[in-house]
Amino acid sequence: MILPMDSIRVLDLSDSLTGPFCTRVLADYGADVIKIEDPLAGDPARRMGPFYHDEPDLEKSGLFLFLNTSKRSMTLNLQLERGKEVLKDIIRKADVVIENFKPGVMASLGLSYEALSTINPRLVMTSITNFGQSGPYRDWEGTNLTLFAMGGAMAGAGDPQREPLKTAGQMASFHVGYSSALATAMALLAADIRGAGEHVDVSFFEVAMNSIDGRIQRILEYQYSDFQPIHRVAPGSSRALGSGTFECLDGFFTFNVGPAVFPPMARMVGAEYLLEDPQWATVAARFRPEAAKEFEATLVPWCMERTKAQIRDLCIHYRVLGGPINTVADLVTDASFNARSFFQTIDHPAVGPLQYPGYQFRVHTGTGEPMPPRRPAPLLGQHTQEVLRELGYKDEEIGRLRAQGVI
Amino acid sequence: MTTTAPRPRTDLPLEGVRILDLTVVWAGPYGAMQLADWGAEVIRIESINHFANNTRGQMARPPKAMMALRAGGMGYLHNDPGERPWNRYSTFNASSRNKLSMTVDMTRPEGQEIFNRLVRVSDGLVENNVPVSMDRLGITWERLSALNPRFVMVRQPAFGLDGPYQEYRTWGNHMEAIAGHPLLRGYPGQDVSQSPSGVPSDAAGGVGGAMAFLMGLRYRKRTGQGVMIEVATAENFVPFLGDYIMDYTMNDRVSIQQGNQHFAWAPHQAYPCQGDDKWVAIVCRDDAEWQQLCTVMAVPDLAQDTRFRDSLSRWNNRDALDQIIAQWTRPQGASDVMHRLQAAGVPAGAVMNEADALADPQLRARGLFQTVTHPEAETQEQVGPLFRMGKTTNPIWRHAPRLGEDNEYIYKKVLGYSDAEYHRLEGEGHIGMDYDPSVP
Repeated sequence: MILPMDSIRVLDLSDSLTGPFCTRVLADYGADVIKIEDPLAGDPARRMGPFYHDEPDLEKSGLFLFLNTSKRSMTLNLQLERGKEVLKDIIRKADVVIENFKPGVMASLGLSYEALSTINPRLVMTSITNFGQSGPYRDWEGTNLTLFAMGGAMAGAGDPQREPLKTAGQMASFHVGYSSALATAMALLAADIRGAGEHVDVSFFEVAMNSIDGRIQRILEYQYSDFQPIHRVAPGSSRALGSGTFECLDGFFTFNVGPAVFPPMARMVGAEYLLEDPQWATVAARFRPEAAKEFEATLVPWCMERTKAQIRDLCIHYRVLGGPINTVADLVTDASFNARSFFQTIDHPAVGPLQYPGYQFRVHTGTGEPMPPRRPAPLLGQHTQEVLRELGYKDEEIGRLRAQGVI
Repeated sequence: MTTTAPRPRTDLPLEGVRILDLTVVWAGPYGAMQLADWGAEVIRIESINHFANNTRGQMARPPKAMMALRAGGMGYLHNDPGERPWNRYSTFNASSRNKLSMTVDMTRPEGQEIFNRLVRVSDGLVENNVPVSMDRLGITWERLSALNPRFVMVRQPAFGLDGPYQEYRTWGNHMEAIAGHPLLRGYPGQDVSQSPSGVPSDAAGGVGGAMAFLMGLRYRKRTGQGVMIEVATAENFVPFLGDYIMDYTMNDRVSIQQGNQHFAWAPHQAYPCQGDDKWVAIVCRDDAEWQQLCTVMAVPDLAQDTRFRDSLSRWNNRDALDQIIAQWTRPQGASDVMHRLQAAGVPAGAVMNEADALADPQLRARGLFQTVTHPEAETQEQVGPLFRMGKTTNPIWRHAPRLGEDNEYIYKKVLGYSDAEYHRLEGEGHIGMDYDPSVP
């Protein structure tokens, strides 16, 4: 299958999560991603959990295995001059460099965008940082939590009596990585048109301020609402009609209905008789402040008699907006995701075959061919020799680089 | 009204690419806006006879009672729906800048012919509807690729074009529920009905839709042929929980409410500060950052406390640790704590509301916010592009289009309809700037 990025070579200097998730997406759509790792320690994600059978091991980090599918790993010591020379050899033949060092680190290694663009004028370099390449916070520290707190909609999430909540896991970081893949693809277009590369500046803070939890619309909404800042709302205190999270037989189910689209829900719960009642018949009548509470007298016991799966199937049938509060086990065994073969089994030499989340999206070329299977994440330095040979290095030279600790 | 191209030529990477936009609600429009931000001519195809729920509001003409229920970042300017409420809705106006809008009633044969003409002169289409809605309008990949073999179509249904959930109508928060997100997001020890609702899957869907379109253009360039790309928004989001999924497939572990906890680091929490509902997030990733935190807190002995001496001890005693830190932060301003800790190299970030964001020195220094004036919704500041390029600037060139604002340009200049035909289509209810009175 021809993939959109299969003529693109990416030199990946990034580590941990944001950059590697960016290059995972580029590799998924066909790019040849050469991942540069420190010869001894490798990517720090190799030391982050969860680990296979909870045994810490550079080749058994679930986070690393997930983030680095279909890439090649090459070890290279960038502290050594010879290491930088090898790197420049790769950059001459690359289309893209991805890095997530702090601002100024690339320049201190002699690898600033200006320096690299003199050896490869068409090069796209994507720099992913906490705060961007400029500004008073440029050199500040940041993590998924602190940057979401600053940039995202955290102030509005959670119980007003308690601390505000971040999004689950390291979601904001994933979003920054994904946005960086989009940014890189956009810059490649610019490079194609102009015959000259670009330096892409992705700021975690600004990405959070844009999209996660609809921040971009909340910034406008704040001004539309005559400057009412977002605040957390006690659960149940301002619920719209037929909306909220309710207990059911085997867990919880969440709905968003509201007065305008109430009739399908009334029919779903066997309360269609309400639609004949003037108190409920019109949208305006259903806007009564007490309507939501009154309807819960019907909705709460109805939910308690049904399972998450039963309510989900009824929602599909009646076209009611709602979803089961799943566990990861519910998700991985879900009938629809499995009918579509979303999860993929990938066999890795250190941990064997495991199920991994599938592609972000699927390319349908009209031949009916499915997307190709992914390759497992590389062992540390697995492709060092292969990459050097492709660059024309002779085996004796490769041996010398190894002896000098360059690779 | 002008009939010249509304936007001057630019040197943006998507200059000259025309994209038809049939997206709804937030994820789809936000994704199409990424393409508009970088130069594409994105044409929203709308209808004055049909109201797409939750896109330009919840209803075309909302009752006054709805104004009081301003929630979830959706609302009308000054709580006043005005003459044309659909042009004053925050969600739409925040996710459609730089686009054009035309109207056509595709439920009628003439509307279908207008659509065919659009497909022939465009590069692609993006949509995020439940598949049956597109089927009803006859919008299929087979038809579009027959009309234009180089066409790029991005389809973004919630759960995909096939499978048991293909008819399942959901918002982002329901897809997230299915993916396991709200369960993880809740407070430890509290039932999940208390979990906040978010839309990270919509945000991811927007980025995914735009990325998919660029991949389609690249595929076309490689092969000379068009392509259809399917972004099931829920599938597009699931990898964001990749570490939890791997923990399950590797170790059979099912994680529940995590709140602000990290799986290995402590402290990792939002702490209360001086003022009404002010908080600062603080994280120590290693012993060095912990020792720096103790120094700034002026309790160097704490660094030697056996309960907190190493990562694992801090994590095991994180509740006690959080109490000590909260005691220190409570009388201080969130921004002051942030600056003091950052000066010492400790990751810290104030929990910022919109007022904090709009006043933030970093965002101001980088010019993130841009002033946009809307003909029916006054002047505000909007958040600028998702990312920057060193040699390319892309200021916001226009407000989110009013319903049908670009009809004349699109019908006459893009499609070549005569003045007489335009007038006839106006009379027949295809062209207009107001929803038909029968639309609620």
